[in-house]
Amino acid sequence: MLTELETTLLGIMMMVIMLGMGASMTPRDFLIAFRKPKGILVGLLSQFAVMPFLGFLLAVALGLPAPLIVGLLLIACMPGGTTSNIFAYFSKGVLALSIMMTTVSTMVAVVMVPVLLSFYSSMAGVTGDYYIPAANVAQVLVVLLVPTALGMVLRKVNANIGATIELIGSFMGVVVIVFLIASWVPRNYQLLLDTGPGVYFVTIGIGLIGMLFGYWVARGLAQDTNRARTISLETGIQNGPLAVLVITLSFAGDMQQEVLLIPVLYSLFIVITSTFITLWYRRSATREALARDAAKVQAR
Amino acid sequence: MTATNRYARPWIAAYGTEIAADLPAPRFDNIAALIKDTSTRFAGRTAFTCVVPNGMNGSLTFEQVDAMSDAFAAFLRHDCGLKPGARVAVQLPNSLAYPVAAFGVFKAGCVLVNTNPLYTPAEMIHQFNDSGAEVLVIVDLFADKLAEVIPQTGIRTVVLAGVPEFFPLIPKAVVRGVQKVWNRTLPPVPELDVPVLRITEALAKGRSDAIDPHQWWEWLKPEDLALLQYTGGTTGVAKGAMLTHGNILANLAQVQAMGRSHMSSDDCVLTALPLYHIFAFTANLMTFFELGARNILVPSPRPVQNIQRAIENYPITWITGVNTLFNGLMNEEWFAAFPPRKLRAAIAGGTALHQAVARRWDEVTGTRIAEGYGLTESSPLVSFNPLTGRLRPDSIGIPVPGTEIALVDDDDAPVPQGQPGELIVRGPQVMQGYWQRPDDTAQTLKNGWLYTGDVAVMDEDGFLKIVDRKKDLVIVSGFNVYPNEVEDALARMDAVLEAAVVGIPDEASGEAVRAYVVKNPDHPGEMTRDAVIAHCKTLLTGYKVPKSVIIRDELPKSPIGKILRKDLKAEVRAEFAAKG
Repeated sequence: MLTELETTLLGIMMMVIMLGMGASMTPRDFLIAFRKPKGILVGLLSQFAVMPFLGFLLAVALGLPAPLIVGLLLIACMPGGTTSNIFAYFSKGVLALSIMMTTVSTMVAVVMVPVLLSFYSSMAGVTGDYYIPAANVAQVLVVLLVPTALGMVLRKVNANIGATIELIGSFMGVVVIVFLIASWVPRNYQLLLDTGPGVYFVTIGIGLIGMLFGYWVARGLAQDTNRARTISLETGIQNGPLAVLVITLSFAGDMQQEVLLIPVLYSLFIVITSTFITLWYRRSATREALARDAAKVQAR
Repeated sequence: MTATNRYARPWIAAYGTEIAADLPAPRFDNIAALIKDTSTRFAGRTAFTCVVPNGMNGSLTFEQVDAMSDAFAAFLRHDCGLKPGARVAVQLPNSLAYPVAAFGVFKAGCVLVNTNPLYTPAEMIHQFNDSGAEVLVIVDLFADKLAEVIPQTGIRTVVLAGVPEFFPLIPKAVVRGVQKVWNRTLPPVPELDVPVLRITEALAKGRSDAIDPHQWWEWLKPEDLALLQYTGGTTGVAKGAMLTHGNILANLAQVQAMGRSHMSSDDCVLTALPLYHIFAFTANLMTFFELGARNILVPSPRPVQNIQRAIENYPITWITGVNTLFNGLMNEEWFAAFPPRKLRAAIAGGTALHQAVARRWDEVTGTRIAEGYGLTESSPLVSFNPLTGRLRPDSIGIPVPGTEIALVDDDDAPVPQGQPGELIVRGPQVMQGYWQRPDDTAQTLKNGWLYTGDVAVMDEDGFLKIVDRKKDLVIVSGFNVYPNEVEDALARMDAVLEAAVVGIPDEASGEAVRAYVVKNPDHPGEMTRDAVIAHCKTLLTGYKVPKSVIIRDELPKSPIGKILRKDLKAEVRAEFAAKG
C-alpha cells in the first residue's frame, strides 16, 4: 500500500497539476466554451454516459471480483485527465476544446462521479467494505477545484508566475504517472504475475474502446473529424491518478493494493496507447489537410 | 485645371475641431532629445512589455530604457569606436532589446539600419554592404547565418540578443530552454573573426565607460540622418530610404495630430507588427513612447493565436495592424467573442484595408478602425482617416497636417477632381532620397515632391481613395481594371478568406483578370470557381469579373502580412512562358 507520505505526495502533485490547469485559463474561456456548447456537451455525454457504461459492461462480462470492479468502475467514471491536453496538442486536435472538456468534466464530476459510482456499483453488486462513500469522491474533487481557481487568480496577478505554473503542471502530469508506477509496481510484482489476461485486457481495452466510442459518438452528433479526434482522446484518457488518490483515501492495507491494481495499470497503459493513437490521429489530420488541397486544385 | 489646384486643400474642413490644421513647431531637434525628455517625465512607468505566446513576459520602465540605451550608445562610440553617422544594423524581432539598441544608436549619433530578422544571408549581405553597416545587433535565433554573412561584409562587431532578453530570471530560462531543447531554434554561435558578445555584456562595457552620451547627440539637427530604411524589395534590389531625425519627429507629431482625441499616456498599444518596419517603428514605438504610453511587444504574431495572451493579460487600448492581422483576429473566437474592453481605436495600414474587414471590426469591437496610407519614403504616414465624423471605409482619409498632396497624370499635370491620378506628396516627413542612389532618387523625388506610384482619386471633401498601384493595373480590352476593386468584391463573399488579383495574358482581350482565393475555413461547404465568378458578376461589370479563379491554401505574404502580388505575377509569367 502507499505510505502516508506517498499519499500526501500524490495529493500535492494532483494539486500542482490542477493549479497549472487553472493558470492556463481565464474566466473568458468558460464563456467562450459555452457560446458553442455543443462540442463540450458531446464530450460530457461520451465522458459520463459512454465510459461508465462501458466500464460496467466490461466488469460484468469478465466476471471480475469486487475489488477489481471498484477500481474499473472508478476509472470509468473519472473526469478527463490533464495529460489528454498534451496528446490533443500533438495530434493536431482542437486544444481549446480539450482543455475546456477537462475542466468542465472535472467540475461536473463533483456531482456526477458519486452518483454514477453508486449506481453502477450497486448494479454490479458491489457492497459493504468495497463501497466508496460518495462524500469521499466529492470531497477530493472539491479540494482539487480550489487549486484550479487559485491558478486562475495567480495568472491574473502575475502572468509570469501563471505561465511557469502552467508549465510545471504539465510536467507534473507525466511525473505523477512515473511516481505511481515506481511506488506501486515493485511492491506488487507478484500480484502482476498472478493477474490474468482478462484484467490486462480491460485495463488496456477501456481506454481504447472509449476512444473508439468517443470518436463515433462525436461523428454521429455532427462534429467534424478534428473535433471528433479530440473528443475521442478526451474520452479515453481518464484521470487515473485521481482515481488512485480517491482509493488511497478510502481503503487501507491489502484491500487498497487490490483495488489499486486496475487504476495503476490503466495509468501506465493509457500513456502507451495514447501515444500510438496520437501518432495515428496526427497522420490522419495531415492526410486530410493534403486531401483538401487536392480537392481545391481540382475545383479550378 | 490650373496648376494652382495642386495646392488646394479641400480636406481642411474635415479636420474639424479635433485636428489642428497646422503642425506645431517641432519640440526637439532630434530623436535622442525626445527620448531623454520623455524618459525623464515618465521615469518609473512601464514603457515596454514583451509577451511571448505562453504569456511569459518582461518589462522595462522609461528610465530603464533610457539608462540602458545610454550604456549602449557608450558601447557603440567608446568600445566599438564608431564615428558620428556610422551605420548600425539592428536585426531583431519585437523584443525588449529592440528599443534599447535602436535608442542607443540614436544617442550615439549613429544611423539605424532596420533589418528583417528573416532575411536570407544573401539579403543580409546586400543590405549590410549597401548601407556600410559596421556593427550588427542580431537575434540569437539566427546566429547561424553569421558564418556566411560576416566575412563578406564590413561588420566589425556583432551583438547578440535573445527574444526573452531582460525578462525575469525564471521566464528567461524557461523561454530559452524551450527554444534550445524543445524547438531547437537556438543555434550555436559560429566562430568568427570579429568580436561577438551578448547585449548584456555590451551594456556592462558601456556602463563601465561612465560617459554621458549627451555630447554625442546634442549637436544633431533635424536634417541629420537617423535611419536607413530599406524598401523596394518588391521591385528588384532593396534601397535605403534616408529618413532624418526631423522626418521621424514630424511624422510622429502628424500621427498624434490625427489621433490625439483618442490618445493619452494611459494607453496600452499592441505592437504585433514588426518594429523593423517603418509603420510600427513610427506609429507604435515612437508615437506611443512619446506619449508616455505602454508598448506591448509581440515577437511573432503568426499564427494569430500567439497574440492571445498579450490581448488577454493587458488592457489594450490601441492596435496597429494590416488587413490580414485584423482579418485573422476576427477569425479567432477568443477575440471576436470578447474583444478588448478598453479598445479605443485601431490603425490599419501597409496595404488596403478591405471594406468587409473594416465593417466587421466596427461590429465586433464597437470601435473605429482608421485606415491610413503611407510609404517607407514618407516615414511613413501621408494620410489618415479622422477618428471622429462619418466612417468612410473605402478611403485612406485626408492628408495629415503639414502635408501637401496632388494627383497628377502622366504629363505631371493635375487631374480634374474625381479623376484618378498618381498621388504625389510633399511635407516634412518625406525622405531625403535613396542612400547612394542618385538615379533612383531623381525618379522618385522631383522638386521636393515624392512620386508614390499609387493611383488615387479625391472626392470633394478631400478624402482620398487609392485605386491601385500604377504598375498593377490590369488592362482588359483597353479598360482599366484595378485589382483592389476586384479583391474587395471577392472579400465580401462569405466563403472567401482572402484574395489577390493579377492580370494574365489573354488572346482575345490582351489581358484578363485572374483571382487567387483562399477559402474561409469557417464557411461550411465547398467553394467553387463558378460560385466565385457568379458572386463577382453581382458586384462588378463584365470586364472586371475574373476569367480565371485559382483556389489556394494561402497567398504569398510579406513579413508584415501584405499580400505579394509580385510573387503571383512571377508565377503567371512562369506559367505562360512554359505554355509558350
